[in-house]
Amino acid sequence: MVSGLKARRPLRRSENWRDTAVGLGFALPHLILFAVFLLGPVAYGFYLSLHRWHILAPEHPFVGLQNYAGALSDDIFWIALRNTVYFVVLVVPLGNLVSLLLALGLASVWRFNTAYKLAYYVPVVISIAVVAVLWRWLYNTQAGLLNVYVKQTVNALRGIGLPLAPFQPVPWISNPDNVVPALALMTVWWTAGGNMLIYLAGIMNVPDEYHEAARIDGAGTWQRFRHVTWPLLRPTTLFCLVFSVLASFQVFGQSYVVFDNPPGGPARSALFLALYMYLQGFNQYELGYGAAVAYLLFALVLVLTAVQFRLFASGGRKE
Amino acid sequence: MKLRRALIAVIVACLGCSGCAPARGAARPEEIGDKRVIDFWNGFTGPDGKTMERMVRAFEAENPDLRVRMQIIPWRVYYDKLTLALVYGGAPDLFILHASRIAQFAPYDKLRRVEDLLASGTAPLGEADFAAAPWKASFYEGQQFGLPLDVHPVGLYCNARLLREAGLSKAPATWDEFVEAARRTTKDTDGDGRTDQWGFVFTWQRTNWLTFAAQFGTGILTPDERSCDMASPRNLAALSRMRELIYTHRVAPKPEGVDAWLAFRQGKAAMALEGIYMLSSLEETEGLEFLGAPVPRFGAEPGTFAGSHMLGLPGGASPESSSAAWRLARYLSDHSLEWARGGQVPARSALLRSPEFRAMTVQSQFARQLPYIRYEPLVPKLNGLMQHVDPCVEAVLLGLQTPEDAASDACRRIDQVLRRP
Repeated sequence: MVSGLKARRPLRRSENWRDTAVGLGFALPHLILFAVFLLGPVAYGFYLSLHRWHILAPEHPFVGLQNYAGALSDDIFWIALRNTVYFVVLVVPLGNLVSLLLALGLASVWRFNTAYKLAYYVPVVISIAVVAVLWRWLYNTQAGLLNVYVKQTVNALRGIGLPLAPFQPVPWISNPDNVVPALALMTVWWTAGGNMLIYLAGIMNVPDEYHEAARIDGAGTWQRFRHVTWPLLRPTTLFCLVFSVLASFQVFGQSYVVFDNPPGGPARSALFLALYMYLQGFNQYELGYGAAVAYLLFALVLVLTAVQFRLFASGGRKE
Repeated sequence: MKLRRALIAVIVACLGCSGCAPARGAARPEEIGDKRVIDFWNGFTGPDGKTMERMVRAFEAENPDLRVRMQIIPWRVYYDKLTLALVYGGAPDLFILHASRIAQFAPYDKLRRVEDLLASGTAPLGEADFAAAPWKASFYEGQQFGLPLDVHPVGLYCNARLLREAGLSKAPATWDEFVEAARRTTKDTDGDGRTDQWGFVFTWQRTNWLTFAAQFGTGILTPDERSCDMASPRNLAALSRMRELIYTHRVAPKPEGVDAWLAFRQGKAAMALEGIYMLSSLEETEGLEFLGAPVPRFGAEPGTFAGSHMLGLPGGASPESSSAAWRLARYLSDHSLEWARGGQVPARSALLRSPEFRAMTVQSQFARQLPYIRYEPLVPKLNGLMQHVDPCVEAVLLGLQTPEDAASDACRRIDQVLRRP
């Protein structure tokens, strides 16, 4: 025992109880809200998924796993899953790369640093409804700003003699092939600022001594990033990746707001799992079926998150 | 001691908070002062909302014992909100619903039958007082659930200036005339090698297809409403005819990246098939000369798609609520000529015959189609069917699938929906 510290006397039973009760008391507001607004609905959702639950019907017969079997044998479920995976595959790497690059840039800029941070972070606090309406206009084929820029660029390049075809308006969100990449780009613009701050915090936490030692050993900027910053950013990267995957799998607002009628965009190209679940529940009023789709999405995300943790944890040991 | 008090305070606060939320189905005030309140919901977010607001205020002025609390909810979320209110409480006393929605709510007793209300009062209403189609559409399995307010058929809107410049003096009436008019008005006006003025544009693909399909004697379901009819030769012919306009005659743009209705309003398209409810948006467009006409004969029989707004009451409404709500519903129906001015065709036959209505040029032209209008199938599972109809039509018009493949996919899915219990 270190001298100067008193040996702690064992707690009496009543004190022990009091400590527990006080702790619970402080946690209670959150526990109640968590139970009422999250745990309860989640459990109830599972109960719904085991029933044929038409919102208007007075009877809701138990059907076991029939809703799950129905979803798995429904080819539109698989279309929605394919679209969602495509979206995740585009958004997660691209979004994290953009966030990391922005963070690296900010870490080396001192003048107007706060102004830059603010500028890149502002989209994160804008509601998806506003973002989607804004981008719907940017993507408008006839009057959208993006096509105006493309047209000016094409005309300028043709003007200097490049053999380019005359400008054709790009159907950014009305051609099924362009839809997911267009929504992914919009999402990266919207969310990159969030991960940027986390990466920036991770970069700032790398001790200067490591960089200094590497510099003395003759390491250049890229080598210092590759062998000092990047390995030390592993926990940050894991956090950002896990949360990006979780958020991207739940993509909903982008498609819901951008594509009004029919929902899901041209040729179902923006029909994502969360939107499919919503449509089943609130358009078809089949709440049981919608809940089953939600649980399938949950299972998928759970497995993927576990895989990511395992990959990064084992990678960490090898380092 | 202090800690214990703090703990108790936290628990009490939490329990208090959990009780803060209003109880489900809490009674809404039915009276304000000495006036009875009628809650009235609709989705008229456009200029039609202003017309409805005017009519409601006029009703209040004539009925000083009643006050109407009108809520305008965008159509996109309207039925979500109405459905939840009908199921879990808080439903309005009177609401607008489309004819096709009656079959969705009526089997579950969520709508009040209206036969007794129609027969009540000094001037009861009956079949003879209404156009045949909306009257029939207000029934589900022999019972009546709505008071038909209007009919909104699809018709042909033409840009009169573009037709005139192409040497045409009137709207086309046959397929050949239509294609010829579209051909003459499709142009590359700035000479850059790209068409920038189209003879025709597909606006809402669903209603455009339903119109073509009606003329080929088909629709989503077979006449017995037991299976899908979209893969029938009749519908394949309808879909092919629509496709021809884009890929054979090249008088309509592929419906990608084209805000078709905006193009029509801007004079970049000469013709469009749209509902009468779009009339006000054309009237608001400065400098646009337009005319309205019945849909030309594209197929073997006349036909066009139409919808109807019905006035409905919630199932289980109290006699007082029903009686007050019906007074408003009757007033709106009796004064639906005013409603028609904003871009509707009234459902009341006397108003259809009136000189005032005949003086409404576009509305009266669209009303000529009343004898052969076609509604969507009035079946409970309509929403489930429509989710497969739209992608089929779109795939054909975008050239992603042949009519045969797209229709066969749609039918497989629609039949699945129909078979589901």
